[in-house]
Amino acid sequence: MVISLDGVVPQYIDSKKIPASQVWGKKLEIKKGEHTHIVAPSGTGKSSIIHFIYGLRKDFDGEISYDKNNISKLSPDEFAEYRQQKISIVFQDLRLFENQTALQNIEIKRALAPYHTSEAILAMASRLGIADKLNQMCSSCSYGEKQRIAIIRAMMQPFDFLLLDEPYSHLDENNRKKAMELIYEECGKRGAAMVFADLKPLELLSGEKILLL
Amino acid sequence: MNLLFKKIQPLLSTNEKNISKWAGYFGLGIGIFILLISLQTFINISKLLSENNERKSGYDFVSLSKNITNENMGKDNTFNEQDVDHLKNQTTIEDVSPLISNQFRVRATAGDVLPFSTDLFLESLSNNFLDTLPPSFSWQPGQQVVPIIFSSDFLEMYNVFAPAQGLPQLSPQTISLVNITLECSGPSGMQMYKGNIVALSDRINSILVPHTFMNYNNWFFTKDTSLHAARVFIKTKDANNPSLLKYLDKNDYHINKDKIRFGRIKSILQGVLSGMGILGLLVVVLALMLFAFYLQLMIARSKDNLRLLVTLGYSPNWLSKQVTKKWILVYGYIILLAVIVTQVFNYFFASLSISQKNGLPVLLHWSVLLLAFILFILSILMNYRLVKKELVEMKL
Repeated sequence: MVISLDGVVPQYIDSKKIPASQVWGKKLEIKKGEHTHIVAPSGTGKSSIIHFIYGLRKDFDGEISYDKNNISKLSPDEFAEYRQQKISIVFQDLRLFENQTALQNIEIKRALAPYHTSEAILAMASRLGIADKLNQMCSSCSYGEKQRIAIIRAMMQPFDFLLLDEPYSHLDENNRKKAMELIYEECGKRGAAMVFADLKPLELLSGEKILLL
Repeated sequence: MNLLFKKIQPLLSTNEKNISKWAGYFGLGIGIFILLISLQTFINISKLLSENNERKSGYDFVSLSKNITNENMGKDNTFNEQDVDHLKNQTTIEDVSPLISNQFRVRATAGDVLPFSTDLFLESLSNNFLDTLPPSFSWQPGQQVVPIIFSSDFLEMYNVFAPAQGLPQLSPQTISLVNITLECSGPSGMQMYKGNIVALSDRINSILVPHTFMNYNNWFFTKDTSLHAARVFIKTKDANNPSLLKYLDKNDYHINKDKIRFGRIKSILQGVLSGMGILGLLVVVLALMLFAFYLQLMIARSKDNLRLLVTLGYSPNWLSKQVTKKWILVYGYIILLAVIVTQVFNYFFASLSISQKNGLPVLLHWSVLLLAFILFILSILMNYRLVKKELVEMKL
């Protein structure tokens, strides 16, 4: 699978900023297996590009395609199919069901297209240090714990692309490393591409493709 | 997608104490019950009445006579050929037959078995109007035996008064054995015939002889062949047709109200049951509207969760189907319960002696079950469309 961006520009952006951007208004292709890091300070559109690619927002000019299919023409059910089988995501605002437990949140995603067994959830939670939080209501978890729940949830399905929107913002160095390792491992298993948006390039990511927004 | 709806069910806000939901359940059940019972009762009553009234091949046969008032008393109040033709031209009247009466004197005696003698009136009517027509009901000039069709009401009346007169009571079977001697006389002389009762009629209150006999003897005794009928019989699809009744009133014709009593009861019942049916339908519509409000409320309350489910990859179409499925059982139970209650009511109705006498079935009529099934499908379709519309409007 290939995701193509052709002249994508948010409708709200100041046109003066476009020429300097390595993403806005450019022609880009993200292929399966590639790791792409989009780096930019706050408020410059990191979440926007992730949301544009995932099909959550349409307030942009230009064209985004999945395998040459313009996503503006996809039906809600076709989007659902891509989101179940091809593209997974960790949102910056996490988007968890607050009145469900951590485990229920993960299971809701796993039920769609189970890539892992339910035992794998416990193993992943143990690796990320939240095994004891699985049966706790999300509303009572800290932001860092919720971030790890959201990461595990994103790993439950098959995918060719993993979109990550500042997934480690509330994790300490140690937990960030553990989460990063898990994500790399899972992407590796699937030969999946990773699109990672963050405020600055992480040391862990040195040597990988970086695009400045 | 082999998904368990159970997993996402808690995300759909269904406040179990919601009064509109329970009011909806109750209203739907009551509405469907009223609809079903109206239809079943209508079928039952129609069956009971059709077995009691005298409809022959879907027609009403009623007799007409001219109203005798102080003003027209003493004038000719019989139907002539013009009157008959006028009646025939009415669209509400299918056929007309005058009851031709004897223009000569008839005296009947019953020999030694029944020692009585009486003056008789005889009438004749077109064979098409007779409810019982035995093959022997025919007469040719020169034939001594005259077949007679006797009114059942007259036989009943005879049996009431016979003991007081020292006469034996007669059953419908034995009356045919009575030998009647008819002594017909007029200006042209006298003729003796043997009368033989060949059938009883529930429809016509008269003593009927074949048309040929009446015509021949009226001509023989009076030489007058013009029509003088005190009564005519009409054949109509509906004796209660308002335009027919209006026409009869306008012409001052008298209709035998007793004969159309069942028809009148039926039309009143039809009105009452139609009213009940409409009421039932209204209650069903109101209950479904209440359900619709409840569903809209549920979807509005669960809006954020539904939106997140779609973001995670749940298909809006699948979600609509699942939310709808959740209600299939509920609708199924409500409609089944309404059918059971209707069946119980029908059982009691069928147990009444009048119903048993007429062999009314204990089980519900197939059209009632079909109506229940149609209501079930309609409820589900309405639900599905509503949920889908709500989800689409949310622009998930």
